[in-house]
Amino acid sequence: MKKTILLISIIFIIFSCSNNDTNKSTLDKDTLIIGMELQFPPFETIDKNGKPYGISVSIAESLGEYLGRDIKIEEIAYSGLVPALTSKKIDMILSSLSITPEREEQISFSDPYASAFLSLLIYKDSPVMGPRDLNNEDVIIVVKKGTTGQILAEKVYDKAKILVFDKDAEAVLEVSQGKADVFIYDVYSVYKNSLEYPNTTRAYLQSISDEDNGDWGIGVRKNDTELKEQINMFLVEYAASGERDKIIDEHLSEVKDYFDEQGIQFFIK
Amino acid sequence: MKKFIKIFYSDNNANKPFYVKAINSIIVIIIFILVLSLSYIYTVTPNLVEGETVIGKLSENLYKIYEYKNTIIAGFILTISISLAALFGSVFLGFLGALSQLSKIQIFHYIGKFYVEIIRGTPLLVQIITIYYFIGVLFQLNNKFIAGVLILSIFEGAYISEIIRAGIQSISKTQIETARSLSFTTRQTYFYIIFPQVIRRTLPPLAGQFVSLIKDSSLLSIIALSEFTLSVQNTTAINFNFTEGYIVLGVGYLILTFFISLLSKYLEARFLYET
Repeated sequence: MKKTILLISIIFIIFSCSNNDTNKSTLDKDTLIIGMELQFPPFETIDKNGKPYGISVSIAESLGEYLGRDIKIEEIAYSGLVPALTSKKIDMILSSLSITPEREEQISFSDPYASAFLSLLIYKDSPVMGPRDLNNEDVIIVVKKGTTGQILAEKVYDKAKILVFDKDAEAVLEVSQGKADVFIYDVYSVYKNSLEYPNTTRAYLQSISDEDNGDWGIGVRKNDTELKEQINMFLVEYAASGERDKIIDEHLSEVKDYFDEQGIQFFIK
Repeated sequence: MKKFIKIFYSDNNANKPFYVKAINSIIVIIIFILVLSLSYIYTVTPNLVEGETVIGKLSENLYKIYEYKNTIIAGFILTISISLAALFGSVFLGFLGALSQLSKIQIFHYIGKFYVEIIRGTPLLVQIITIYYFIGVLFQLNNKFIAGVLILSIFEGAYISEIIRAGIQSISKTQIETARSLSFTTRQTYFYIIFPQVIRRTLPPLAGQFVSLIKDSSLLSIIALSEFTLSVQNTTAINFNFTEGYIVLGVGYLILTFFISLLSKYLEARFLYET
C-alpha cells in the first residue's frame, strides 16, 4: 500500500512539474529563446568560432534590446522549427521562415520583415528551361524538407517526380551530378550554388510563381499576441532607423551588385 | 621466388613476419586511397574553371574548412564526451537489462524483455525524435547534451544487455552447480565465476557496440546538437564544399573508432592472460 501511494505521488509530481509553466506568458520570461537553423548563410550561419552569426542574428539581437530581454539562440533543424515552437522548446522563430497558410495553422507570424522568392538550380543537360517545363512526368525535382519549395512543388508540379532532402547540400549534389533536373530553392542560395558548380548547373534567377511572394516573418506561438504586437512595432522602428539597411549592406554586398544589374529584387521590403 | 610468394600467401595467420604484415597492409591502403581519389577527381573535374586543378580545389576547400577549426574541434570534443558518457550509461543500462531479463521476479523479467524488444525493433531516428520531442516535453528534458546521452545510452544499452545476457547464459550449468556444491553463495558465484568469464567472452562484441555508439552519435545532429557531424555540416553550408566536409567527417570518425579497436585488442590480450 505504501508503495502504491509513493508511486502515485511520484507520477503526480512529474505531471505537476511539467505543467507549471503553461500559464506563464512568454513576455514574463527574462530570456527569450530564438530558434534558427544555422545553415543558411548569410542569414543564419556561424562565425569562425562557431557562434551564431548573420542577418537574422543581428535582427534577433536588436529585437532583444528593444524588448529589454536577453536572447538565446537555439539551433534547431529547419523542419523541426515549428514543432519546437509549439512544444515550447523555443519562444520565437527567426530563421528565414516564409509565411504560408499551412504554417499559420500552427503558429502566428509577425508582419513580414523581408521577402525572397523561389528560383531554380538546373542541371546543365536538363531539358528544363524554366518553371513552365516543370510539370512533366520526366522531370525530377528535388526540394529541401519543410521549405516553401517543397510546398509549392507538391501543390503545383504534381506530375513531376519530387524528391525531398533533409539538407540542401544533398539536393545540390543531386542536381550537379545530373541525378535530378532542378532544385527549387531561394534565389540567393541558387545563385551561390551555381557559382560553385559553374560547368554542371545553370541558374534560373526569376521568381517561378506569382502566387508565392515569399514574405518572411518572425514566428511566435498563437497565444502570444502581445509579443507579436511588440515585434511588429520593433520591425517598423528597425527599418526606420536605417539599422536594417546597414546590416543588409554588410552581409549581402557580395551579391548585391550582380542582383542589381540583373534587376533581381531580393530581401527588400 | 618462393620467398616472394610467401609475402602474399601465408598458411599461418598468427605468426607472420613483420614485412608480410607491412607490405600487404600498404597495398590494401593504396587501393583504398586510389579508389577514393579517382572518385573525387571524377566528381570534381566537370566543375573546374580555367586555371583550377583538382589538387588546388581540394586544398582550397579543405582550407575553407580549416578556417572553422575551432567550431569543428569543439564538435569533435562534444562527440567524444557524449560517446564516453553514453558508454557508461549504456553499460549500466545493459547490465540492468540483462540482469532483469534473467531475474526470477516476473515483472523485472518482462520489463527487461520489453525494453530490448522495443529499442531493438525501432530505428534510432524514431527514438531520437520521440524521446526529444514527445517524452522529453513531459519530463522537461530541454538540455540537448543530456537528451543525447540518454537517447544513446537507452539505444546501445538494449544491444549491450543482449550481449551480456548471452555471455552469462553461455557459462555452462555445470560450473554453477559445482560452485553451489562448494557452497558458494549466488553473489559469490556471479562475482568470482561468472563475471570474469563473461567479461572476456563479451569483449569483442562489446567493442563492436562501442564503435557503433560513436558512429550513431552522428544521428543526434537532427536535433541540432552541435556535435562533430553538425559542426562540419554548418561549416560546409557556408562555403558549399560538401564533398570535402564529408572527407573530414570520415577521417574524424575513423580516428575515434580506430582508438576503440586498439583498446579492445589490448584488453582482450590482458583478459586472455588472466584465465
